[in-house]
Amino acid sequence: MSTQPLADFLAHSVELESEARERYLELAQSMAEHHNREVSEFFSRMAEESRLHLEEVAEIAQEHKLPELKAWEFEWPGEESPEATSYEAVHYRMTLRQAMLLALDNERAAEKFYGSFAKTSDDPETRSLAAQFAAEEASHAAQLVKKLGALPPDSAQQLEEDDDPHMPE
Amino acid sequence: MTQTELSVAITGAGGAGVISVGELLLQAWAREGGRGLLRKAFGPQIRGGESAALLKLTESERYTAASSYQVLLAFDWNNYSRFGDEIKLAPGCIVFCEEAAEVPAEVMAVKPDLVCLPMKQLAAQAHEEGRVNMLALGLLGQLLGLSEASLSELATQKLAHKPLAYQQAAQACIAAGTGYGLSCDVPVPVPGAKGCWYISGNQAAGLGALEAGIRFVAAYPITPASDVLEWMASPLEQLGGNLVQAEDELAAVNMIIGAAFGGVPAFTATSGPGLALMTESLGLAVASETPITVLNVMRGGPSTGIPTKSEQSDLNIALHGLHGDAPHLVLAPLDIADCVYTSAWAVQLAQQLQTVAIVLSDQFIGQSTAVISEPQRCAALEAAATEDNDYLRYRLTESGISTMATPGDAGLRYTADGLEHNEAGTPSARDDDHQRQLHKREHKLSACSYGDAWARAEGDGELAMVCFGSASAALCEAAELLAEQGVAARTVSLRLLAPLQVERLQAALAGCSSVWVIEQNHGAQLYHYLRGQMDFAMPVHSYARAGPVPLSGAAIVAAMKEATAA
Amino acid sequence: MNEPVKLKAKDYKSAVKPIWCPGCGHFSILNALTKAFAALGIAKDDTVLVSGIGCSSRLPAYVDSYGFHGVHGRGLAIAQGLKVARPDLTVIAMGGDGDGFSIGGNHFIHACRRNVNMTYIAMDNEVYGMTKGQASPTTPADWDHSKLTPHGPGVRPFKPAALALAAGAPWIARGYSGNPNQIAKLIAEAIEHPGFSFVQVLSQCITFCPEQTDWKAIVNEREEAPLVDADEAAQLFLHEDGFQTGVLYNAPRATWPPSPPEPQSQDITRGFCL
Repeated sequence: MSTQPLADFLAHSVELESEARERYLELAQSMAEHHNREVSEFFSRMAEESRLHLEEVAEIAQEHKLPELKAWEFEWPGEESPEATSYEAVHYRMTLRQAMLLALDNERAAEKFYGSFAKTSDDPETRSLAAQFAAEEASHAAQLVKKLGALPPDSAQQLEEDDDPHMPE
Repeated sequence: MTQTELSVAITGAGGAGVISVGELLLQAWAREGGRGLLRKAFGPQIRGGESAALLKLTESERYTAASSYQVLLAFDWNNYSRFGDEIKLAPGCIVFCEEAAEVPAEVMAVKPDLVCLPMKQLAAQAHEEGRVNMLALGLLGQLLGLSEASLSELATQKLAHKPLAYQQAAQACIAAGTGYGLSCDVPVPVPGAKGCWYISGNQAAGLGALEAGIRFVAAYPITPASDVLEWMASPLEQLGGNLVQAEDELAAVNMIIGAAFGGVPAFTATSGPGLALMTESLGLAVASETPITVLNVMRGGPSTGIPTKSEQSDLNIALHGLHGDAPHLVLAPLDIADCVYTSAWAVQLAQQLQTVAIVLSDQFIGQSTAVISEPQRCAALEAAATEDNDYLRYRLTESGISTMATPGDAGLRYTADGLEHNEAGTPSARDDDHQRQLHKREHKLSACSYGDAWARAEGDGELAMVCFGSASAALCEAAELLAEQGVAARTVSLRLLAPLQVERLQAALAGCSSVWVIEQNHGAQLYHYLRGQMDFAMPVHSYARAGPVPLSGAAIVAAMKEATAA
Repeated sequence: MNEPVKLKAKDYKSAVKPIWCPGCGHFSILNALTKAFAALGIAKDDTVLVSGIGCSSRLPAYVDSYGFHGVHGRGLAIAQGLKVARPDLTVIAMGGDGDGFSIGGNHFIHACRRNVNMTYIAMDNEVYGMTKGQASPTTPADWDHSKLTPHGPGVRPFKPAALALAAGAPWIARGYSGNPNQIAKLIAEAIEHPGFSFVQVLSQCITFCPEQTDWKAIVNEREEAPLVDADEAAQLFLHEDGFQTGVLYNAPRATWPPSPPEPQSQDITRGFCL
């Protein structure tokens, strides 16, 4: 990313936010399909927040010519963009608390990702934008922590169920 | 009015060239305008077993198997008895055989006119490489009044890929045979118009399919259907199509489903065991409304059964073998020439109605070669009207036919599915979608107007005989025998078995006092099918006789007489 | 002429929503596939996804291309028939381990051998999901979670890559549902490979094999270049643990069918006229 640090940073930011949004939408739909309305609605709200953030990033990005990167050409700290909920971390009977904890992990991962640019980028504009984005993620995380505190504790047997799985085909 | 027929059997060990004699003799005969049929009978060995060329020379093109033979030429008598009931000798028939050999008692029993010749010696004298079969060709050619030149030319064409000495030996032996002073004589049928075709039912079925637009074939070898696929390979390439040899019948049927989904008319040919393997995916083609045509060349069943002999015993599986309610087309060619028509019609109907067409040919018409006038062709069907604003693949239309988009069509993307689906093709387990789509798939077949080709109905009289497919010739033969005895009979040979044209069949049978259902299987499959599909105003009788011996008019008439006497 | 609009991954998704369990690895593969399509600029109208039966085989309906959801085990046969008849199309077959290696095993072998220019994605979760979690050909011998085989299947699992190699597959890759961007890259390369390309994707079944979450720690990306030597590949595929990902083998060979000869005369009846 050395040649055009800002454009590269913005390309990653756009991808990060749009993947976060797409993933939340997909999870919201999937939870709705599996009759977990509470979690579905939560993921929908998270998708909406990601959309707002994406719009903000996209507006800034508009003024730059971003590199056209293929999905696997992005350089993420992990295997996927940091704010995309892992497909494998969810369960159809998951509680709102568990969903919020996942979202909190996402926000913190995004904050960390932006934070590293804020600290290490050679480009002052990148540093400043990254710091701004990191702060936003941190504020989302703080809100989630607050909401989590207000939730009742989960039952230890939440994932247990009485019926066997179905045989659709 | 009686026409002259002459049946000639040539037997010997496989590899001795028995079949070639039959083919060359029939070709030379056809060149003179003669009509005739060549059947082939084999033992179970791939090479070297007994084999027989069974020729029937006629004045008409209604080809039944010969009920008895007026001429037999036996290269040797080894395993002759294996042909048992298949080669019945007429009393006083001419029998050509090797001088030194002992003639079997069952042959002597018909008091034959024996022509014992030193055939091996004559062949060796004609040419050092001389073979008995070409001498036999000359001898039989002489009996039929065929010229040495014509036989020799055809033989040379056939042997074009053999060494020159081999061809010269053949020519010399043919000349020795035609020039040999034979004292016997048989009445020979009168030739008709020249310019005929020489074709097998399997080739004819392949030709019909290609002429109707088939451009993709998946093939898995099976007796007696392999030669359909083998014949199609070259012309298909010539037409820019593709043939894939599949790993099994499951693959073959699914490959044609794939090609058809891609908009390329697709076809496969098989026999009973292969059809059984294909049935699950035939259901998929029905449900996904993917047009495919499957030719089933029937053989003796069940299981491996009698692979080299004919039977009409796959009617049940063709009609009822699919799981669920899976309406589809079942057709049957009535004779060798009709294989061109019915195969083409099946392909066109499958394409138009976006469904499965099963064509029931059999080993008798499939692997027999006949001399025929240029076969009648099936006219192209009118394309179904289409309407597609806001495209829905499985739209409920008045005709039941919805527009089938093919990949590459801009903006009409859909996923074909064997799961029940709604009009868009999206999987659905809803009652209303299931009822509507079931009705759609049934209605498009029942509402279609199939025209006059549904059957070949002939004759008049209070007695009616009904059959399907290749039984037609025996049925007509029976009607002729009855007419000679003063009994008028009508015949109905069904070409379209499903959907059964009940009203038309009832009209064809109106006024009859009795109906006989004739078929070549043990279980009276057609009889039970007809009884289940419609009401009859008159008594219905069954004549159902399994293979391997071909149906004959005489046997049918005898069975009727016996039933009436009882 | 206007520049065609560049489609994003999400533009390749259809309006039909997946029925897969939340937590299913197949979501990752669906996403990877659409990312690969976006990266390659695949034309929706000229692309066909073909599948058999099973959870994974539901995938074609979720993508906005042409699709065919066939019967159990026969997706590869449909796909090959389609591609041979319509070489202009991009054809991708997919299905599960039961579909591809058990009921469809013969088609898998012969597809590898035939080398038609298409891609096959085996979405391998080592279990039959649609029928309630029975052991499949890739299930470990001691997996005793199914009522059908209460002591485990007791037979050693298939090694799909070894089988593909032995059958003649010229291009073999493996991905893992925990790494969708890598799968996207593998699928894109598979589509671009001129011939039969086989991508095995280890895809977690959260419902019947929750223990597969352990895969995350075992899976490792192979760093070496793809093998081109079949002997070396055989050594690798026979002795590895099955958790290495990446393009493992790449030895292109002539595809089938070969280019057709020039069209000849349309008269196909000549041989019959005497």
